[in-house]
Amino acid sequence: MNKSAIHLVVFACNWDGLSCIEEAARGGLTYPASVRVVRVSCLSRVHQGLMLKAFELGADGVMLLGCEPGNCQYDIDAGLVTREYEKARIVLGLLGLGKERLVLCHIPRGDGPGFVRRVTDFIKELEQVRPAIPARA
Amino acid sequence: MFDTEREIIESKIRLCLDCGKCTVVCPVAQHDPEFNPRLIAQRRLSQNSHSPQDETIWQCISCYMCVERCNYYVKFPEFIHGLRAEALAEGAQLQCTHGGALQALQHMMAREDLLQDRLSWLPQDIELSEQSDTIFFVGCAPYFDIVFSDLEVNTLKGVEGALRLLNRAQIPFNILANERCCGRDLLLQGDREGFLALAKANMQEFARYGVKKIITNCPECHYTLKVDYPNVLGDTGIQVMHLTEVIAPLVQSGELSLGELEKRATYHDPCTLGRCSRIFDEPRQILRAVTGLDVVEMEQSREKALCCGASPWVYCGAVNRQIQDQRLTQATATGADILVTTCPKCQIHLRCAQKSRDGKIPQVEIQDLAFLAARSLDIGGESVG
Repeated sequence: MNKSAIHLVVFACNWDGLSCIEEAARGGLTYPASVRVVRVSCLSRVHQGLMLKAFELGADGVMLLGCEPGNCQYDIDAGLVTREYEKARIVLGLLGLGKERLVLCHIPRGDGPGFVRRVTDFIKELEQVRPAIPARA
Repeated sequence: MFDTEREIIESKIRLCLDCGKCTVVCPVAQHDPEFNPRLIAQRRLSQNSHSPQDETIWQCISCYMCVERCNYYVKFPEFIHGLRAEALAEGAQLQCTHGGALQALQHMMAREDLLQDRLSWLPQDIELSEQSDTIFFVGCAPYFDIVFSDLEVNTLKGVEGALRLLNRAQIPFNILANERCCGRDLLLQGDREGFLALAKANMQEFARYGVKKIITNCPECHYTLKVDYPNVLGDTGIQVMHLTEVIAPLVQSGELSLGELEKRATYHDPCTLGRCSRIFDEPRQILRAVTGLDVVEMEQSREKALCCGASPWVYCGAVNRQIQDQRLTQATATGADILVTTCPKCQIHLRCAQKSRDGKIPQVEIQDLAFLAARSLDIGGESVG
């Protein structure tokens, strides 16, 4: 991995989350190539292990992109992911990497510009916090 | 450093007589006929040892029960750790429990430039001696309590209890703000590279602070720092003691008196503290020093104590759950209110069994020994109840 850029992993739910990313692509909007999108059926499938694994592999930040409250296709809503997100954030804090490296976003369905704005803002925030995390050798 | 072939020889597996006593006492084999220590050894040592890969090696829970029974003290778990290292080197994929969160944590902790912020839990009233060359090695408790918060475990209570007991006994100690996981789980699952990285990071930290003596509450940290680090890195020149080895003599001599607790408790020997480190009496001496505490033994205790049933965060399934159920049933059969242990992982594993059975399994209270002893003195960090 080229460590000069901020590496971001976006776990996007297959429904509203991914629709924003597709909309951004359809609209010809651009965002840094160091953003990797991982499509999941629902954010409730993403537990703390996966979030931490992304950091272990060298991600500087992780974004969880899911449906707005009430829009979950599996009626789970944000309950599970919020719990796992809170745990992973505290662990990142304990590790000294900083809680702010993990964010949970709910963007309206199909909001391409909104997604690009959030991603670029997040990258700017990460550039401010601390030097990039060296990947495991 | 590591040499798998040498390790396999040193486990004395070639002394195996094929008698099968290990299989009879193995808690995994009792619930899973597919798992057979004797046959694992036979398969690996036979001519066609390398194909196909033996999947059953991941089920061993490293409880050392087989070693206890073996006439030649063949260290079967260490043989298994060697086989796992071989399997990983050949590309085997680990089936991590808890989504691999613990493995990710351990690997991240091995980073050299890491600057943890892990002491926010430390109560104000604990007295640290920054100049002391003795440290209390906290272990992963601050992380466990977050990762397993849905199990409602509180392994830090045990650590706080231990620190308060040391303060009460006027034993000076310091705590390192940037200690790493001891790495035992990685060692047990065959991840030698990960273990070495953690061991080296810890040794650097110890050298920086001129550590001469380490006290731990976690039996796994105790054994790893005391036995595995010197095995792998050479003599560390550091004395390692378990909290019970420090506190029990003081209690016996009357230098430290414990308080009162009108309860019935049973002591669960963690495999690593008991069968590995041979510390059986000290925890019991501490418990007996608590006035009013009725200490009872389970059907299987001391050298024959049943394991809490889980592996180093890999391969946990129905068999592990059956072992946990069995242990909790043994504890309830004694009529105890509290199951006392010294290992945070035993707490987590047994609590996980209780939680997943949704009240259908004995809900005996699980407590850390140090917390219970501190609680008897009203210094456990919460009101007696």
